Amino acid sequence: MQMETVRFTENDLAKYPFLKETAEYMKKLGLKIEELENPEMAPILDRAQERVKEAILSVGVGRKRENYVEIPSFPVAIMLAIATKNSFIKKRYALAEAKQAFSDMQYETNERIMAIAADFDWNIALNRNPAIPLELAVNFTDYLRNTTHLRDKNWKLVNRLLANGKVYLNKHDAARLLQEEVQRRIEKRLEAKELPSLPEKITAMAEQLLELAREKIGEQEMEGFPKVVSQSAFPPCIIALYEAASKGRHLSHVGRFTLTAFLVNIGMPPEKVAELFKSFSDYNERLTRYQIEHIAGERGSRTQYTSPQCSTLQTHAVCTGSDALCRRVHHPLAYYRIKLRQRTSEPPKK
Amino acid sequence: MASREFIYEKFADYYSNSSLNVPQPTLMGQREFGFLLLKERAMVRHKSFMEIKDLRRFLSENVPSDVYHSCAYYENPSFEMDKKGWLGADLVFDIDADHIPTLCNKIHDEWTCGKCGFAGKGITPETCPVCGGVKFDTKTWPCELCLNSAKEETVKLVDMLEKDFGFASKEIRVFFSGHRGYHVQVEAEAVRMLDAMARKEIVDYVSGLGLALLEEQASEKTVTGRRRRRGSGSFSLHDFGWNKRLKAGMRKFILNATKDDLRAVGIRSYALLQNKDAVLSRCLEEGRWDSVKGVSVETWRRIARHVKELESAKIDTVVTTDLHRLIRMDGTLHGKTGLLKKEFPAERLTSFDPFVEAVAFKEGTAKVSISDAPEFRLSGKVFGPYRNEVAELPTAAAVLLICKGRAEVV
Ligand code: SF4
Ligand SMILES: [Zn+2]
Ligand SMILES: [Zn+2]
Repeated sequence: MQMETVRFTENDLAKYPFLKETAEYMKKLGLKIEELENPEMAPILDRAQERVKEAILSVGVGRKRENYVEIPSFPVAIMLAIATKNSFIKKRYALAEAKQAFSDMQYETNERIMAIAADFDWNIALNRNPAIPLELAVNFTDYLRNTTHLRDKNWKLVNRLLANGKVYLNKHDAARLLQEEVQRRIEKRLEAKELPSLPEKITAMAEQLLELAREKIGEQEMEGFPKVVSQSAFPPCIIALYEAASKGRHLSHVGRFTLTAFLVNIGMPPEKVAELFKSFSDYNERLTRYQIEHIAGERGSRTQYTSPQCSTLQTHAVCTGSDALCRRVHHPLAYYRIKLRQRTSEPPKK
Repeated sequence: MASREFIYEKFADYYSNSSLNVPQPTLMGQREFGFLLLKERAMVRHKSFMEIKDLRRFLSENVPSDVYHSCAYYENPSFEMDKKGWLGADLVFDIDADHIPTLCNKIHDEWTCGKCGFAGKGITPETCPVCGGVKFDTKTWPCELCLNSAKEETVKLVDMLEKDFGFASKEIRVFFSGHRGYHVQVEAEAVRMLDAMARKEIVDYVSGLGLALLEEQASEKTVTGRRRRRGSGSFSLHDFGWNKRLKAGMRKFILNATKDDLRAVGIRSYALLQNKDAVLSRCLEEGRWDSVKGVSVETWRRIARHVKELESAKIDTVVTTDLHRLIRMDGTLHGKTGLLKKEFPAERLTSFDPFVEAVAFKEGTAKVSISDAPEFRLSGKVFGPYRNEVAELPTAAAVLLICKGRAEVV
């Protein structure tokens, strides 16, 4: 949809530095990496460090400063996060920025929300239908792209007002979906592997941040799941799938996907998963390397799939009923994580 | 054996004489094609064709019993799966009598477990109740009643795709599948890049899975006892999407309800019947669900759940979420019937007659020995029922019976 381009003010860019327009601002500023060590850059560097630090400590980004510090501190913070080479810090930083944007966006006008949405190529408009008590109308594809992994059933499309291809939303919900876009955009930027050679000051800062994260979060959590797959911590649904597969029994499409994604998610390397399936039976060779790698995010889409949550598994009859722990979790991965923690804190049995 | 040769000959005839009728799929150069070859009884996949004339030549030279193409578009459709380069996929729906319980499938559908031989009638189970086996010999029939219920599901689906999802009618392509159902294929640019999770959400939408009004009220009773959750006592349905469907469905239910209807959905109080006007205006219109004595929120939940079942479209859910699915190609023969997969405008859904319009073989006759077959209709003529008899039938009828394993050429 064509939208009259709203120019963002500097105040906007300070609040939403992930907008495309920030690039122009930075170009005009003509900041060079080598100059970051200059004393007059100290406030920028300081603010950048604070952004990442606050993200680690509290999933926040700290207090805003003057625009000329605030705006350039964002790309520097990105650089800093990349320099930590730590996926936990990167994820956490992207989330923190996105959450901050969400809370700021709630005070914006609908027009401003639409302008930010347009920056993410949404097809969005003001609702002009007086019979519908919601202010904004978003194309259902834009809606789905940002909600399929949100757990609350309120986000399910079936529970939304969908008419003529538009999902009607209030400002709060539109802002919540934009949070997802912001997070994805920042995560993408953090994926960059090639970094220009960084001034020593920056590498040292990155080192400190890494140290801080280790301290605050703990090594295990930071590494995601431990690399050793602990079968005894599997939830009932996964045990059932695993056993069925090992006996060469037929698994439904959802069942196969769940098992594969689960194993990949808890840190089994894709080639090990493929081996495992091959060892089971001929039938399961149909779960080819390709599918596994697709789920593992090494092919095509490059997004790693997450195994479905309990409610999905219940509708597809993959859930095998629940033990006491099941009743406390919404996701087989959460089950595994908790069980694992319980087990490692227990004294070893003789 | 003579029957297989007969089928081969007829299919070969069709593809050499009428292959001009095989329409060109959208962006065919980016699709993978697959064929089940009649002679070799083997599946050939990962084929690609730049031009329709090449495909038509392939059909007449190789004579497949079934022709498929991917819903997906690929950079290199003929490469192995992991090298194809996925570029997007149509949004497809499969509505098949195999997934819709009808009154008659207990009569004409049978299954036998390939492992232990246990047999039953009706819809084939996922696993054998005796031995857990998953391979079955099935005996089904493209029955008119079953096809009509598939058609009703298709009508509901198309209505949602148009009104709720806002697809233009030219973006919604509707086909008879050639056997026991219908395919709906949306080829809009907007849906191409949807991932499997997004497609799953669309599946849940059309099948009403997870619709909250009902669940919210369900949890209200079990979880919080008598305490009522915020807003549920006065929650009005608006006039769009699922709300509109529920509202219209509930209104219809109440207007026509008898004591039997209420009992059938598990309602034991008949208060609803005494005061239909008040029930309609106060509860349904104003959304004060518990404002009529004797009509509880629980009652409404039961009605809503029943209406949701009626209003949702029963589709084969795995087809829609599979990003690499092969689907039967328009204008080709179905190996189980000799009927065509055939496109028709969505507006004609109610009047479309598969047993006339999807008939491919219009000339000649053949003498067949029929083991058993229910009564059926083809090109306006009624045949059967047959039981252990020999008959001279028009080609299309003979092909159908042979393909369904009910007859042999003599
Ligand atoms: S409740 Fe969740 S974790 Fe437990 S068996 Fe069911 S799906 Fe698995
Ligand atoms: Zn069996
Ligand atoms: Zn039937």
